[in-house]
Amino acid sequence: MPTTLEPTRVMEPDVDERVAEDHPWIVIVWNDPVNLMSYVTFVLQKLFGYSNEKATELMLDVHHKGKAVVANDTRERAEMHVFRLHEHGLWATMEKDGPST
Amino acid sequence: MSRFRPPVRAKGEGFIVDLGADESALIRRLIGELRSLLTDPEPDEGAQALLVRLFPVTHPDDEDMEAEYQRLMRDELVQSKLSTFDIVDETLSGDGRVDEGELLAVMQSINSIRLVLGTMLGVTDEPDADEVTPGLEDSAEYHLYNYMSWLLEWCVRALTGS
Repeated sequence: MPTTLEPTRVMEPDVDERVAEDHPWIVIVWNDPVNLMSYVTFVLQKLFGYSNEKATELMLDVHHKGKAVVANDTRERAEMHVFRLHEHGLWATMEKDGPST
Repeated sequence: MSRFRPPVRAKGEGFIVDLGADESALIRRLIGELRSLLTDPEPDEGAQALLVRLFPVTHPDDEDMEAEYQRLMRDELVQSKLSTFDIVDETLSGDGRVDEGELLAVMQSINSIRLVLGTMLGVTDEPDADEVTPGLEDSAEYHLYNYMSWLLEWCVRALTGS
C-alpha cells in the first residue's frame, strides 16, 4: 500500500452512470463540520483526478445531502481510496453497492 | 506595517511556507503534542476521543471487515500521519521552501490539527446550534482553530494556483 504523498493520476471514473459488475464497492465521503469546502474539493481532485467542476459538485452533495459517492471500485481498490481519504482527514467509508438488505 | 504576503505561496519551481518564528514554534509544538497522542501505546479515553476524526471507521456495516481492515491498515495510517509531521518539522525549522509533495504533507498536518481542535471544541454545522460548544467561543483553542483554517486555505490556494 503506497503512502506516498505524490500526486496520483487516476482515470476519471464515471460514478454516476456506470456501476460495473467488477466494481461492486462504493466509497462514500460524509459531511463533517470541520473539513473546509475548498479543502474537500481539492482532495477529491487530487486523489481521483476529477475536474474542478466535478469535484465541486461532489463536495456540494457532501455538504447539502450529507454524503456523496466519490468512487466505485473493487474491494481492494476501494480500501485504498478510503485509506488515502483518511490520510487527508476526510470522513470516508465504503460499502457493497446495491440495495441494502 | 509591511504589505501582506500570503503565508503559503508559489516560489520558484516550488512553494514557500513563510511563517513568523512564533507561528512556526507554535505549530511545531502542536505537531509535537499530536505526535505524542498518536504514539501513546496506551491512550486513555480522552486521548482516543480526540483522535476519533483522524481514524474514521471504514466498514461501518461489517464488524469483521472493520476489524480486519484496522488490523492491516491502522498502523500504516498512523505512520503516514507521523511522516507528514516530520515534514512539517523539517519545513518549519528550515527555510520554508517545499516541493509539492512536502506542501501536501504540511497541508495534511494542518488539517490533522484542525480535526483534533474541532473535536475538542465540539465544532458543529447544525443550523440551530452554536458553531462550538457554548462558552468556548473566546477560547484560545477556537482562535487557534480559525488560524489553522486560514493557513489551510492558503495551502489549498497555493496548490491550486488560485
